[in-house]
Amino acid sequence: MRRFRLTPLRLAAGIAIGTLAFAGVAYAASLGLSSKKLHVWSQTQTKGTCNQTSTTAFDTYVQQGSPNSVAGGTATTLRIDGSTGAQDYAFIRFDLSGCGIPTTGGADSAALTVYVRTAGNDTISLYPVYTTWSESTLNWNGLGGLLIGTTATTSFSGATTGTKTVPVTADVDAAIKAGTLWGWELRTTGTDTVVLGSSENATAARRPSMTLSYEK
Amino acid sequence: MKRLINILGVVLIAGLLSVGVAAAASLGMGTAKLSAGSAVVTGCTSSALTATRNVDNNGNVTQVNVTNVPQACADETLAATLENSSHTSLGNASTTVGACTGGCTVTLTGFGTVSAANVTAYAFSLTQ
Repeated sequence: MRRFRLTPLRLAAGIAIGTLAFAGVAYAASLGLSSKKLHVWSQTQTKGTCNQTSTTAFDTYVQQGSPNSVAGGTATTLRIDGSTGAQDYAFIRFDLSGCGIPTTGGADSAALTVYVRTAGNDTISLYPVYTTWSESTLNWNGLGGLLIGTTATTSFSGATTGTKTVPVTADVDAAIKAGTLWGWELRTTGTDTVVLGSSENATAARRPSMTLSYEK
Repeated sequence: MKRLINILGVVLIAGLLSVGVAAAASLGMGTAKLSAGSAVVTGCTSSALTATRNVDNNGNVTQVNVTNVPQACADETLAATLENSSHTSLGNASTTVGACTGGCTVTLTGFGTVSAANVTAYAFSLTQ
């Protein structure tokens, strides 16, 4: 048997063999990792704002004491009262169709602002409305035809006059996805009368408005 | 010259053998019979599925909804990451796609407190 001698050529061959073996192991390892199926994708959102003023606002109030009256649709104020037999409910909504937000979009933030002209020691609660209504035709007798949320989204105190701003992001987000914002019914269980400025009010600062930031 | 050719031949053969042995070992085949071939590994979908998200009244993301997830994706893991404009993660969540007929809507929750206003992109993955 011949004695093995380490020559420069044999040394180079050994290094080359080791390198290739290492590459093979790495290749096999990579095969092991890729044996899981994987699908990745991303979705980029566009941000925007679409603040609402009286131009796109619709509002009215209905009166239990005058169940056929539609006078609230053209009144300059909105009355809210919880007195038994003489309840008044206000309705406010905005037409968002000019915002160009698809139903796959959503609200990042939304806040409704109203102006309390006559204060009363009442808490005013906002209930989301899910079906269509018109300020020119809605009256007390028509309430039964509306689908209104059973839980108040938000509320504010009517105890002082001035501007009141409340968050309505969740409702507006849901309305964007539904295609139309039908707004809110504002009511109280208190027996004082709270009066808000309407979209027909002569003073612009007393009309309802809404800030809206969205994504699409 | 002949000697050099012999050595190079040995090197080449040894290298190829080592790659094959290593690959077979990673596949768990050991000394059992080995057959070679190829197969296309396909996922349950190759589409970029559409997602929407819901918010609470404070504008924080409450859930992300991925629509039209194919039925073939049942039992796979769907993960979502909420990203800001720098593509930094603001929150993530994952869930197992349930069985359903037709296109499924998969809802992911548990992103933590993430303001929707800061979310400019969603990154998704489906893994088996």
